[in-house]
This record gives sequence, C-alpha cells and structure tokens, in this order.
Amino acid sequence: MKSYQDMRDAVFEEIFEIAKRDKNVIILTADQGAQTFEKFKNQIPEQLINVGVAEQNMIGVASGMAKENFKVFVYAIIPFVTLRCLEQIKIDICCNNLPVNIVGIGSGYSYANDGPTHHATNDIGIMRTLPNLEIWNPSDSNSTSQIIPYLVKSKSPAYLRIDRGKVPEIYSNNINLMEGFHILKECKNTTIISTGNMVDLSLKISTDLEKIGIPNGVIDCYRIKPLNKELLIKTLQKTKNIITIEENSIIGGLGSSISEILVDSFSNKKLFRYGTPDKFRWDLGGREILHKIDKLDQKSIFLDLKNKLNQ
Amino acid sequence: MPNLENNLISTLKTKSDWVRLSTIEMVLNAGSGHLGGSFSVADILVSLLYHPELNFFEGHDKDRIILSKGHSSLSIYPILADKQLINIEDLSNYNQSGSILGGHPDTRVPGIEITTGSLGHGLSVACGIALALKRSKKKSKIFAILGDGECQEGSVWESAQFASHHHLNNLTVIVDNNGISATDFTENTINIEPLEKKWNSFGWDSMVINGHSIEDLIKTLNKTPKTNKKPRALIAKTIKGKGVSFMENNPHFHHGLPNEKEIILAKKELSS
Repeated sequence: MKSYQDMRDAVFEEIFEIAKRDKNVIILTADQGAQTFEKFKNQIPEQLINVGVAEQNMIGVASGMAKENFKVFVYAIIPFVTLRCLEQIKIDICCNNLPVNIVGIGSGYSYANDGPTHHATNDIGIMRTLPNLEIWNPSDSNSTSQIIPYLVKSKSPAYLRIDRGKVPEIYSNNINLMEGFHILKECKNTTIISTGNMVDLSLKISTDLEKIGIPNGVIDCYRIKPLNKELLIKTLQKTKNIITIEENSIIGGLGSSISEILVDSFSNKKLFRYGTPDKFRWDLGGREILHKIDKLDQKSIFLDLKNKLNQ
Repeated sequence: MPNLENNLISTLKTKSDWVRLSTIEMVLNAGSGHLGGSFSVADILVSLLYHPELNFFEGHDKDRIILSKGHSSLSIYPILADKQLINIEDLSNYNQSGSILGGHPDTRVPGIEITTGSLGHGLSVACGIALALKRSKKKSKIFAILGDGECQEGSVWESAQFASHHHLNNLTVIVDNNGISATDFTENTINIEPLEKKWNSFGWDSMVINGHSIEDLIKTLNKTPKTNKKPRALIAKTIKGKGVSFMENNPHFHHGLPNEKEIILAKKELSS
C-alpha cells in the first residue's frame, strides 16, 4: 500500500496517476492549492485549471464539461465548495445528474482557528438532502486513496470531504468500498458508529469502555449517502446501544441518518448521538480546545457514556 | 440568393407569429406561464433554431443552445414540436400532470441541453461546454440566452470573466434586453446598463442588435467574433410582450395572464 502525506495528498496523487493516462480527467480548483499540483503543472498543465475565486462559476463549468464526457473534480475549502455554491450543485450537477466530483478540504474543525466561516459542521446535513449526490467521508489517507478510482469511473455526482493535515492511519488493507462502511471491531451489545476524523477517537473511546467492562464494536461509516441501510440493519441486529460520534452538527449528520434507520427499522435500541452543537464557535486555541468546549473530546464522551450505559 | 433569403425571412416571420399564438393556447390550457419574456425572445429563438447555417439537433458536431432564462420555455416548445423532437399534441398538455413540458425546461425534453429555471446558471454551464468542445476539437458553436434582469446575478459576471480569460470564441451570449424583470423595469430596481460596455469591458466582443429583426438576427447569429479570441455578446434590444399591443412593455405580463377579452384581442393581433 502506498504511503501518503495526508488525505489531500492521497486524493490528488491518485487523480494524477489516472490523469496522466486520460486527458479527459480534469481538476478545477477555486484557487486552493495542493502539493501534487506541481506535478500537474509540470507534466499535464492542461488538466489543472485554476478558475479563480469564483465557486459558483466553477460548479457550472464542471457541469458543462461533465456533460461533454470529461471527468471533472472541483476543489476548494468545504464551506466554499458546498454552501457558497449550493444552488449550482443542486441544479447544475444534481438536477442534471452529471458525474462531477466535489472535493472539499477541511472537514469539521480542521480550520479551527479560522472561525465559523471556515468550519465545516453543516455541510453533511445540507448536502445529504440533494438527490443523486453520493457523500464520502473517509477516515484516513489509505481509504481515501481507494475511493478515487471509483469516483473517476462513477456516473453519479459525488461529494468527497477530507480532513486537513496529517491524520492517523486506520487501514493497512483494502476496504470493501461499495459496502459503504467497515467493521473495525466486531459489533457487540454496544456499537460505536463514526465517520471521518472521529473514527480514530472512537477507537480510543472503545478501548476506554472495554476497560470498565463495556464490550463494544466500532464501525467506520465512510459513505454517508447512500447509507447501506440493509447491511447496517443486519449488522446492528444484536446491538442494543448505538453510539454515533462525528465532528459535524448534531442536526442532520451521521447521527441523524442513523436515527432515521432506527425509527424505520427497530423499536428496541437506544441511540446516543455525539456531534457539534447548534452553535457557531468563535473560540480560538485549536481543534482540541473546540472539542473540549463541545464535549466531543475523548474524556467527555467516555464519562458521558459511562454514566448513560451503566444506568 | 436574395430571393432565397427573402423567402427564408418571410417564412421565419410566420414561424414567430405561430410560436406566439401557440404559447397563448398553451398558457390558456395550463392556466399559467410566462408570456412576456417568451414573446420578447421568440424572434431570437426562431432565428437561431431555424438558421440555415446552424444545426442544433443532429450529429456529433451539433451546435448547442442553453436557454438560461428558463422561464421563457413556452417559446421553445412549439419549435421543438415543429422540428418533430416532441409531439405537437404534447403542447396542449404544457404544465399539466403527466407532461414533460414544464414552466421551466429540463433535460427530459429532447433538444433541451440542461435544466434551467434559476437565473444565473446557464452561462457557467455554457462556458464548461464551450471549453470542452474546444478541447475535443469540435467546431460546434454554443449559444446561451440570458435575460437582462438575469444580468443582475453576480454569477453571470463570474462566468463572463472565465469565458474571456479562456478565449471561448465558440460561445455567444444573447441578452434578451427587454428592460423588464419580474415585477418592474430594471432601471427602477438595479440599473444594468450600459450592457454593451459592460460585456466589452469583461473582454467580450459585444454589440447591440435588434432582437425583433429576423433579417438582422439571421445575418448576425452565425458570424464569428470580430476579434477571433473573444467570446461574443449580442445585446438584443427587445420588447417584453412583443406582438400584442396591450402586453408590450407591461411588467404585469411577466407572469400575468390575459383575460377573456384580452385573449381574443391578442389572437387577433397575432393573426393579422
């Protein structure tokens, strides 16, 4: 398995390898950089277009190129490549059902000190209401790299959200991409379902719970839409307590998606949802500080679960 | 040749009248529709889609049209029916249950390239198609028809910058410059003039034309830009509600419907 500097590196190195052989693979960036772009500029400059600070136009241009059978990736920081141009995504991409791949960098509080303008805690809830759009939210560089070849071939619009900077590696093997989630620890009476950067934290909380006699499983849900409902329902049959952990608003994200499945399919399970609150966060000091304020840090979640699961 | 041109122009004028009459019937059946802007753009659509040197509907290298002011879909449907892309009987089901002919055009309708309806989208998609066509070495031309009220949308100018930066000389914008948006004259809401200078200053080859002169439109539409590397903007001076005296220049008829007496008068004027 190749090694990548970070998730961004995984995305663009994989695209570059394919783009070298296929001149119809194009990246549009709204003036957002990436290390691999130097390779594009030196070797295949025609396939990297900096459209400037104009995200609405970028989505429309991508749609037009996709309509003419180009395989297009658009790229910017998450709030700007999602909410800023939401209607263009809804109409130009999703209504027309064109296979444009939206790559957003900076999931959750990746850009912690840049404030609410750069925080990406609303995008999952909003984007998952758009018909035809797939949402991928991988937890590490290795799984991210495995999604790219699929996106190049896929005929569906897709949104891939990635973290900024180095992240702990979860996988040393291939994931079963189309299943949409991976069971990292076998499901027990208690199962944690997490996504993105919070999968690593969930594994630590899982260990903490085991130490106090609460056996539990961990699922990495890297495809948030469509959720593999059938397989999830089957997988969760023996689980009584389901915990969702995400660095995304408690309104509309993974926890909400799972709650919809539970309401539709089960009547005997408890759900404990952990996510960011319905608030703008102005506090400075970094991601860990924000997690503490939101009670999304390892200790806060563990203590809360210890209390709730022992009741 | 002059005779052929005269015959063509005479035929197309008759087509424009027929398109407007058809839209009146469609709107009456449906009880809704945007007549004013459909009438102002009718001569432009007819001149484009029946142009002897343009081909929008057949082959790998066909030309492309995007009706960015999608609320004027009323005027394109009769033409698609006349071109046998849809059934002529379907026009009577416009905006009704089971029909694919909606108040705004979508890609279920043969001949419609992209779904439009929200203003300020069509030009950016047209830019993407234009760039793709150039990269694929296709000689097709692409036309995007915008409303003048639509030019109040900031996204239009993002796309205008992109098109000139990338020398998209296969792209023509036609602005249906009728001076009225949904509720009022544009000069009373946000003044959009001087449109010709604005497009020029954004790096386009811009010119004003008479949007109701089939002769001028036929002579102009298939031309390449004066400066070869620039995209082209045609500011087509038009009259909202063109063809029916009491609808002309009347903001009410953006989405308002004529009453029974007015319908009789409108049909009479369009048939004369």
